Amino acid sequence: MSGILEVRDLHTQFDTLDGVVRAVDGLSFDLDRGETLGIVGESGCGKSVTALSILRLIPPETGRIASGSIRFEGEELTRLSEEAMKRLRGHRISMIFQEPMTSLNPVLTVGTQIAENVTRHLGVSKRAARERAHEMLDLVRIADARRRLDEYPHQLSGGMRQRVMIAMALSCDPQVLIADEPTTALDVTIQAQILDLMLDLKEKTGTAIVLITHDLGVVAETAQRVVVMYAGRRVEEAPVEALFDNPLHPYTRGLMAAIPRLDTDATRLQEIPGMVPLLTRPIVGCAFAARCPLATDRCRAEAPPVVDAGGGHTVACWEVTP
Amino acid sequence: MTVLAVDRLVKHFPIHGGLLQRQVGAVKAVDGISFDIAKGETLGLVGESGCGKSTVGKTILKLIEPTSGRIVLGGKDITALKPGAMWPHRKGIQTIFQDPYSSMNPRLPAGTIVGEPLENFGIARGRERDERVAALFERVGLRRDAMRKYAHEFSGGQRQRLGIAKALSVAPEVIVADEPVSALDVSVQAQVLNLLIDLQAEYGLAYLFISHDLAVMRHISHRIAVMYLGRIVELTDKRTLFARPLHPYTEALLSAATAPDPRRRRRRKAIVEGDVPSPADPPSGCHFHTRCPYAVAECKVKDPSLREVAPGHHVACHLR
Repeated sequence: MSGILEVRDLHTQFDTLDGVVRAVDGLSFDLDRGETLGIVGESGCGKSVTALSILRLIPPETGRIASGSIRFEGEELTRLSEEAMKRLRGHRISMIFQEPMTSLNPVLTVGTQIAENVTRHLGVSKRAARERAHEMLDLVRIADARRRLDEYPHQLSGGMRQRVMIAMALSCDPQVLIADEPTTALDVTIQAQILDLMLDLKEKTGTAIVLITHDLGVVAETAQRVVVMYAGRRVEEAPVEALFDNPLHPYTRGLMAAIPRLDTDATRLQEIPGMVPLLTRPIVGCAFAARCPLATDRCRAEAPPVVDAGGGHTVACWEVTP
Repeated sequence: MTVLAVDRLVKHFPIHGGLLQRQVGAVKAVDGISFDIAKGETLGLVGESGCGKSTVGKTILKLIEPTSGRIVLGGKDITALKPGAMWPHRKGIQTIFQDPYSSMNPRLPAGTIVGEPLENFGIARGRERDERVAALFERVGLRRDAMRKYAHEFSGGQRQRLGIAKALSVAPEVIVADEPVSALDVSVQAQVLNLLIDLQAEYGLAYLFISHDLAVMRHISHRIAVMYLGRIVELTDKRTLFARPLHPYTEALLSAATAPDPRRRRRRKAIVEGDVPSPADPPSGCHFHTRCPYAVAECKVKDPSLREVAPGHHVACHLR
């Protein structure tokens, strides 16, 4: 397997009235060709900002990629011109977001919107683009695709809109699809349909997926490898089975013990005391130290080393011995 | 002891149309549901968006008037009570929302917000009220000095604690909790769920717990009612529901739910296709027949009633 996307020591920051927010604080990870990588964490951990950084969609008025490198097929994205990024987005790297209604144009039919993306990037004729749009709606299993091409987003259900977003995102055969909470706004039966569809299409097209979510269940059922983020940093990374069988970081363990289970009647959920640290001040030592049951003075003073537990399982913690 | 009994509750919202804005139809949000809740019990109401679960909550709270049916709170029929007559009964039934922030006046300190019901119901004022509020703050895990802070200064989990303290202030028998942890991160969700369970044990509260999240349901509920398009399709204790679901929709919900277990994906059974039909124009017969993998001809024409198939296990399906 070879890396198609390499993120190295990424720092993304925002200016706020309270100071500079270090939303992503030295994040590194690789995405292999054709794999599904889950990035999981709670609100404010920097997972969505990571997605926006890769796509270079950080609003320049308030934020910036302060340092670090994002290489896509060997090309350094952080230094690419906006024109070149526009050619890349929706073509070689695509994205879908939580709320499709905010990404779809309400006054254009879905057929027109998908065809527009195809024409822009592949330079084909209108007729060919419309054919491609039809083909894509079939691919995402929208019944009666011919008729749906001429419908507007408001005429579709939430699940159907997300299918349209997926159709559009995959219309130019991207190498990478970034999906940010793609099923969070959907009902469980519809979520199951969309997750199945995404995995099925990944098999068919070989597109690598970065799946960003807060939901450990979604990650467990879709990802091959998982990065766990906390306060803008990667605290653990592992193949999905290893992560769920043997979570090593105290934060990952805490999260797993805090979720109610479908298969057992736990008497009491484990709580993670306290709150996420403020990101407006530089964090000395381990970001999780203030809430960690194992924390020592060293954890509060020095950033933890990345410990290799073997088999691609790494953890950033002073107290864990794999 | 039953503290809340709901009998054949119906709530239809009229749809007006045409030049004269005559009623042309109705959204059958709640279409004849019955259940009761005992002291110290949690009944979970689970279903997907548009199934009517939140409308059930609002109707029971008399925030909207039921179309028909009966609501009996603590032995008293409150169905037809006008707002004035309902007022004293509101002490008995309180609510917790998904987003407590939207119901808090941003210009008032948190202590005043939580103490409002105490004053409104004439339970306590002045220093006594402040003492009671301080005790409530401590009970829900907030510091006394947080009484002076404003709603925006609290995190999501802390705001939910404020909402709980406010609901508790008048010592209700029943709390309707509508998606109270859905907007919270899992680590904070665990804190709030544990608090709700502790408070129930302490005060013998009855909860009507409304949620779309099956794992949360399993954790907090004693019995669970599954709703689909305005009707209860299955109602039983939680163990039975998860071990032996009888209604095909319950089966589909359980099979669609994701679990933090990478090996489960290979065991997943068939997924129901399609979307939930509109409650303004629900399918004939059994509402679920359009998506049901087992549907037979009878399901299209005949409406299945909720039957008790085993002690305490009710299901509305022709085939079970």
